[in-house]
Amino acid sequence: MSRAGLVEFDDVHKYFGETHVLRGIDAAIDETEVVVVIGPSGSGKSTLLRCVNRLEEIQQGAVRIAGQSVTAPDADINRIRQRVGMVFQSFNLFPHMTARENITIGPRKVRDLSATEGEELASELLDRVGLTGQGDSYPNELSGGQQQRVAIARALAMEPEVMLFDEVTSALDPELVGDVLGVMRDLATDGMTMLVVTHEMEFAREVGDRIVLMADGTIVEQDEPERLFTNPRTERAKQFLQRLL
Amino acid sequence: MANTETTGTSTGLLMRDGLVRRVGEAVAIGFLVVVAGIVTIIVSTRVDFGLLETIFPRFVDAFVRVLGIVIAASVLSILLGMFIGLGRISTSPITSRITKGYVEFFRGTPLLFQLFVIYFGIPGLWGGAGFPIPNWEIPAAIIGLTLNHSAYVGEAIRGGIDAVPDGQMEGARSLGMSRVMALRQVVFPQALRNALAAIGNDQIILVKDTSLLTVIAVPELMTVFRDVNSTTFQPWTPLIWVCLFYLVITMSMSQLVNAAERRGDPGRDGSLSALAGMFSRRGGGGS
Ligand SMILES: Nc1ncnc2c1ncn2[C@@H]1O[C@H](COP(=O)(O)OP(=O)(O)OP(=O)(O)O)[C@@H](O)[C@H]1O
Ligand SMILES: [Mg+2]
Repeated sequence: MSRAGLVEFDDVHKYFGETHVLRGIDAAIDETEVVVVIGPSGSGKSTLLRCVNRLEEIQQGAVRIAGQSVTAPDADINRIRQRVGMVFQSFNLFPHMTARENITIGPRKVRDLSATEGEELASELLDRVGLTGQGDSYPNELSGGQQQRVAIARALAMEPEVMLFDEVTSALDPELVGDVLGVMRDLATDGMTMLVVTHEMEFAREVGDRIVLMADGTIVEQDEPERLFTNPRTERAKQFLQRLL
Repeated sequence: MANTETTGTSTGLLMRDGLVRRVGEAVAIGFLVVVAGIVTIIVSTRVDFGLLETIFPRFVDAFVRVLGIVIAASVLSILLGMFIGLGRISTSPITSRITKGYVEFFRGTPLLFQLFVIYFGIPGLWGGAGFPIPNWEIPAAIIGLTLNHSAYVGEAIRGGIDAVPDGQMEGARSLGMSRVMALRQVVFPQALRNALAAIGNDQIILVKDTSLLTVIAVPELMTVFRDVNSTTFQPWTPLIWVCLFYLVITMSMSQLVNAAERRGDPGRDGSLSALAGMFSRRGGGGS
């Protein structure tokens, strides 16, 4: 089955050596849709996300963005990655650059943005993630929550069509989680297409348009948040949700 | 330092820490007294201050020569070492294996052997006479030190690159940077910072390795010592100059490394501008 979406997974299989980690993923994410991926540890959530911008190679099937194959051997991967923003659990900010430089390095180097355009873009994005005036700080001078918001701004600087979030609040102190989720909520409201792996069930319920529940490398069930949380159809989903509550 | 221990059961420990500290100080002071005593005795009985002055210009001569060789070999070995280090992590197995072989060879054979190959071996290819380069010992010295130490610098840089978390490369690639661009902008400046101490160590060894050059007829500090000693039979007087002149170079070098480390600390002045700037236009940190 193949639905047309902004991001499409078409029978995606991924192996790490002998381990079959993604076992035939079929899914599509529409424009402006926010899809939240949940599931037990090791079920393949991160791997699925990393296949979208080909940080992982797949062995079978295809991933497409706006109809264009990401996984074809001749795909221009650097160009495709510009259309996909990614935010990591461990931030992965560049420690030798200021917040502003972190944000502008992508556009400056990859899209030849001028220095002044870069300045403007950085200020605008820092405002957007609630870090007005913090542009000259280095990552080690910022709290985890601030760093993660700079990382979101850095990804947004490339003006991506879709954003990937892999447990972006898991490494944060509880009191810092809210600010980051707030930025993500705003993004969703502004119509960004998002694929989000998270353990924040409240966020999933409120912001997600659809929940995808993964287990053992397959999609067990997917549905609107309310329906999936209150009335799961499969035994596997029931088990998983039970353990959450 | 020991007094920062504040937990309840620490009184006994604190006393023992204090004791250890005082014993350590006593040993260190004892050592200093013995060494200072020996040096004083030697300087007052074995050093001829008239001779010290007469031979000074010859040591200055040698010192200037050594300094020139050190600067040339240092710059060249760091430059070449960067390419060796990058070659080691190349995705091309051809490049990574060839650079690995290079490192194995230059670390696996003695520097003196390498100097002999260059100083004697290469002119030997011309037969008896006819080797066109005059004063071959100086270029031979610079080439030998450069090749040898670029292997060590290369390993230091490879280690520095390995120490940069994978997430840095992934973060850069996910923005659409090519691998080469990500290396240059993101990984390499950090790798250089990581490798700085190891590179500094190696460059200090390079300074001391110039003492081997006496064997290939470079008139350096050890050569001057031997000349003076064989005519005056007063080893202690020239040894003073040898010691001081080596220390001048090695100690300035550690100062330089310390300064570079301070500059390169992320969080203040940005990346390691002096070295990284050659690879990255943003290297200076400021815009
Ligand atoms: N680089 C790798 N090499 C080998 N196996 C890997 C690698 N990365 C992931 N795996 C394996 O693939 C499976 C799926 O991993 P993945 O990280 O996608 O799970 P996840 O759902 O994100 O888990 P978590 O909730 O713990 O983050 C796991 O069994 C994991 O051990
Ligand atoms: Mg994961």
